Amino acid sequence: MSLHRTELPWATLRIVVGAVFAFILGPIVITAAVSFNGTARSVFPPQGFSLRWWSEALEWKWLDPLIFSLELAALVALVSSLTGTMVAFAMVRGQFRGKALVEMLLMGPLILPSLVTGIALLQFLHAMGLGSFVGFWGLLIGHVIICLPFSVRTVAIALKTMPASLEAAAASLGASTGSVLWRVTLPVIGGGVFAGMAFSFVHSFTDVNLSLFLASPGERPVTVAILSFLEFGFAPTLAAVSMISLFIPLLLIMVLQRFVPIGDFLYAQERPNE
Amino acid sequence: MTVIEKGALSGGSRTWLLVGLPTLFLLLFFVAPTLYLFSASVMISDGMPLDRPTPENYQILLGRSFYQWVILRSFGVGIGVGLAVVLLSYPVAYFLVRTTSRWKGLLIAVTLSPLLASVIVRTYGWYVILNQEGALNGLLVWARLVEQPLRLLPSTAAIIVGLSHALLPYGVLSIMSSLNGMNPALERAAMSLGATRTGTFLRVTLPLTLPGIMGGFILAFSLAISAYATPAILGGPATETMATSIRNFMVAILDWGLGSAMGVILLASSLLLLLLGSVLGGRKRTAA
Repeated sequence: MSLHRTELPWATLRIVVGAVFAFILGPIVITAAVSFNGTARSVFPPQGFSLRWWSEALEWKWLDPLIFSLELAALVALVSSLTGTMVAFAMVRGQFRGKALVEMLLMGPLILPSLVTGIALLQFLHAMGLGSFVGFWGLLIGHVIICLPFSVRTVAIALKTMPASLEAAAASLGASTGSVLWRVTLPVIGGGVFAGMAFSFVHSFTDVNLSLFLASPGERPVTVAILSFLEFGFAPTLAAVSMISLFIPLLLIMVLQRFVPIGDFLYAQERPNE
Repeated sequence: MTVIEKGALSGGSRTWLLVGLPTLFLLLFFVAPTLYLFSASVMISDGMPLDRPTPENYQILLGRSFYQWVILRSFGVGIGVGLAVVLLSYPVAYFLVRTTSRWKGLLIAVTLSPLLASVIVRTYGWYVILNQEGALNGLLVWARLVEQPLRLLPSTAAIIVGLSHALLPYGVLSIMSSLNGMNPALERAAMSLGATRTGTFLRVTLPLTLPGIMGGFILAFSLAISAYATPAILGGPATETMATSIRNFMVAILDWGLGSAMGVILLASSLLLLLLGSVLGGRKRTAA
């Protein structure tokens, strides 16, 4: 059972892994430290302690894009998981003409760089006379496009791994088709639906490449707001804003992880990618 | 096989009720815009609609040395990031899969947690470390290794470091799934036949996890060449990449024709790499 004999020298590996972990966490820890900096420059180690960058980060100038991002991500998660669940049902359970084509279509947004999807959608909206969509509607459409593959996949995995006998048992005990779907299938695949929702939320909330082109000055997510502020220089306020925008998805996943094993879907997701 | 399959979703026409609207949505807002991008890339964007397509945008981008360098630099960044991601994530993935520590779950969570942060958050940290009065320069001056603070930004090397950091979790995930799928009996068999630990690793484990390594490299490469935020923050006009030049064309210069053409070049590079990966992966599988 013990694998230790076959492993590389374990002590060396631990040192290397420790160094990589420091590399992973270093920049985030340093950003956190800088947000409490006493001076106005983005220097490290911090000189003095101050909460003024945090209070600046909590002004409307930053709260507006933060709230916009939250609303957008929540809506994107809702739309893409509802749509994704429907599509996953059809893809896993149904046989229909053009299934292979629909499958390709669904994976498209995952394969194409989202930056390209962004400039394509921007130009298309203008060409169709829908230039006023740039902003909230454009962002909603674009984010749903890039999040849909995630939702479809997580629900499809849940559907495929669910034992078919569960539904058969319910049906043989006299449950109607609708009742089986509502009271057996949906509760069982609920984990997949929620995982898809979480991925979509995080994906939308952290997106840069698409939002960059589809945001308008009045309607822009927090990532775009940070980027355009960066063009004028760096300030520790940005470190505080960055920290806030890191906590939101982190909190969401931590709360959700208590009810749904989201991690399981992360592994399962990688397989089709190879 | 299942009840639902026989019942609610029997007919193909009824299934189309479920996929019809999403398919239409993707055709309208994903496929049509992408096709439109191709046509926009062969137009000159001075507001005058042309009746004939022109290769002029591509001639400019592929012919002028400035843009040739932009494209080459992007590829260089992609290769550098792909290699760094694979090299750094292999030991972590190996450790996470094999460790019996009770902190395993937490360690996996920490490794993947950067995925929850926007790439801007992660890149900002690198700016703080690498800028002229940043942490690294402070350390170097303090240790008397240099007299003057070094100018580390903007530079292509900084972009590679920042992107490797941002894309590391993808490499770890890819290699972990490959290691998880490996039969551990193979390593024990090699050892029992007299192979050393290093020999077993090099001749059994490494070749068997090659698909995971390839997958991680390709994922990191294709995400790196289309990343905007990191090259924008850690780079400058002299280190323009395809992604930052597209932003310039679309927003600053407002030459949507050139922007579209660069978009198509980016798209083609990304697809070509994926194709190459699947061809190599396929050959590997048939050979095995």
